[in-house]
Amino acid sequence: MEFARKVGAAVINALSYLGSLAALAGRAAFAAFIGPFLGRPVRFQSAVEQAMEAGVRALPILSLITFFIGLILALQSAYELKRFGALNYVASAVAISMSRELGPLITAIVVIGRSGSAFAAEIGTMKVSEEIDALETMAIDPVHFLVTPKFIAMVFMLPCLTIWANSMGILGGSLFGVLQADFTWTRYIHASLEALFLRDVVTGLIKSFMFGVTITAVGCLEGLSTGGGAEQVGRSTTRAVVVSIFLVILVDLVFTTLFFFLGAH
Amino acid sequence: MPGIADPTRPSVSLDGPMISLREVRVSYTGREILHGITFDVQRGETLVILGGSGSGKSTLLRTLVGLEKPSSGEVWIAGKNFSAISETERDDIRKKIGMSFQGGALFGSMTVGENVALPLREHTKLEESTIDIMVRLKLDQVGLSGYEQYMPSQLSGGMKKRAAVARALAMDPEILFFDEPSAGLDPIIAAGIDQLILDLKQAFRMTIIVVTHELASAFLIADRMVLINKGDVVAMGTVKEMQNSTHPRVRQFMDRVPEPAVAQELDYLQMLTEQQPRQGSPSPGKSR
Amino acid sequence: MQIAARAIKGWTILDLSGDIDLAHSPAMRKALLGEIKEKRTPRVFLNLKNVRYIDSSGIASLVEGLKASRDLGSRLILYGLNKTVREVMQLSRLQKIFEIYEDEEQALAS
Repeated sequence: MEFARKVGAAVINALSYLGSLAALAGRAAFAAFIGPFLGRPVRFQSAVEQAMEAGVRALPILSLITFFIGLILALQSAYELKRFGALNYVASAVAISMSRELGPLITAIVVIGRSGSAFAAEIGTMKVSEEIDALETMAIDPVHFLVTPKFIAMVFMLPCLTIWANSMGILGGSLFGVLQADFTWTRYIHASLEALFLRDVVTGLIKSFMFGVTITAVGCLEGLSTGGGAEQVGRSTTRAVVVSIFLVILVDLVFTTLFFFLGAH
Repeated sequence: MPGIADPTRPSVSLDGPMISLREVRVSYTGREILHGITFDVQRGETLVILGGSGSGKSTLLRTLVGLEKPSSGEVWIAGKNFSAISETERDDIRKKIGMSFQGGALFGSMTVGENVALPLREHTKLEESTIDIMVRLKLDQVGLSGYEQYMPSQLSGGMKKRAAVARALAMDPEILFFDEPSAGLDPIIAAGIDQLILDLKQAFRMTIIVVTHELASAFLIADRMVLINKGDVVAMGTVKEMQNSTHPRVRQFMDRVPEPAVAQELDYLQMLTEQQPRQGSPSPGKSR
Repeated sequence: MQIAARAIKGWTILDLSGDIDLAHSPAMRKALLGEIKEKRTPRVFLNLKNVRYIDSSGIASLVEGLKASRDLGSRLILYGLNKTVREVMQLSRLQKIFEIYEDEEQALAS
């Protein structure tokens, strides 16, 4: 009985958390895409700065990581494929698993580590130092002021980063392909492109868009719900990372399932 | 229209109090902090809210600016019931309110000048060149000329506080709220803030509400004072009335008598051994 | 707030009335800078007799006008300030920086 009550409470908590996330994302989306038509311009400059920070500055580390992931994928799939003498399928195996799954996912995880945590820390610090209160007393909506630019930056930058991550992964795979599987660079790239359907790339991009929404909502919500005291900022930041990773994988599962059944016929 | 909606000034009916509290109760996590506060603040009046740490005076201020929702009772500002109006109407009132936070609450990612300019940029259609001059005027008023380009982190505590006052003044508000304006400032700077409050009242007929526990400053700037203790209004009156009050709690505050120890030995024993009713209630020192 | 312009001896008098606040100072600024910068009027008089109230955006606009007129070697003269406006000027420490006269006669004679 006690156990059932605890489970029930946990489920209710989780649902209400998801509700707050959806509400926050909804408000940000409204301010980003509908607000400008109602005469409430978005802070475009701030969005560009956020896009630089979350997107462009993530490129070096993201490139390195996804290059390695591509290489690892090639090695792992080659291990199986070699037994069937199908080593020339390495290119398509890497290309498809990068674009459909690992490109968006690895990108999301890198962005969570760099930006999701930063959102929570930035907004949490502002909350603790009464800056959020100050915004409210100035009749400036904190969501519009702080969350919307981040939201815009993230939903645009994550798909862009994902495309970049896919390419770097394929490049990583090609290193193995050329050194171990008798590919030339051009043949490997050709084989990769041939293996890919537009659908593979698009499903990855849809996922990454949803990841962007999730990461922003979690980071900002954790920041906004920071309690009093500096130690709470650290806690919010940690929570933002853990919850974001969990929810990104959950969203991934939901969408992968969806695409599986949609693509079945 | 993001600009100032109401062209005439004063924009609300001239008669009636500027701020009016009716039986306002505020609770945090089930614990009631304010137990039914009622008072009025007249237009152009300076009211000082006095009270010790944990008396609920900061919560009272946060309720007045709409950062806390009363669990019951009403807060009327400029003739409008603050908790019963639309978001847009509330924002229109907030544009006429300036609030100076205790720690400054300056935006760390912006320069001092950008901090002061922010409400003007967000809410008015003024030219950048005009805003620039306004920012310098405001910073000059608080004695921070030439600090526009500094980041808040480069300022001392007292300077942050003054920059926050400049930001609160940016929109030429009709009502100004100060949370502990002179706490932690050196006496000369604190006197400067007091003088500024007097000047603003004189020149702009601002309604000013100051939360403080600095008696000297309170006597200087207040038209009326209200003493809060444990979430209740203990006494309210003019400076003279408060100074001459015979109310024990007022006397204690005015004469700076320390809190007496718990009188009865049995009470003391009980206090020491009593089971705590609940854990995790917020510390009484800070109001959050 | 309302603005009306009068021409006297090749100079311009701007009669202002009402409140010069956040909503209205852009209009005053435009009129003022138009006279000073575009029309190059050698003397611009601001009649503030019917101005009830001026806020810091109004003051800032006046400062912009003063700066422009100094740069161009023309003069910006204020007169007819009521007590409130005078106090606001004082608070901004500008009463000595502007040329301020009691009434139109004195201003024109200056």
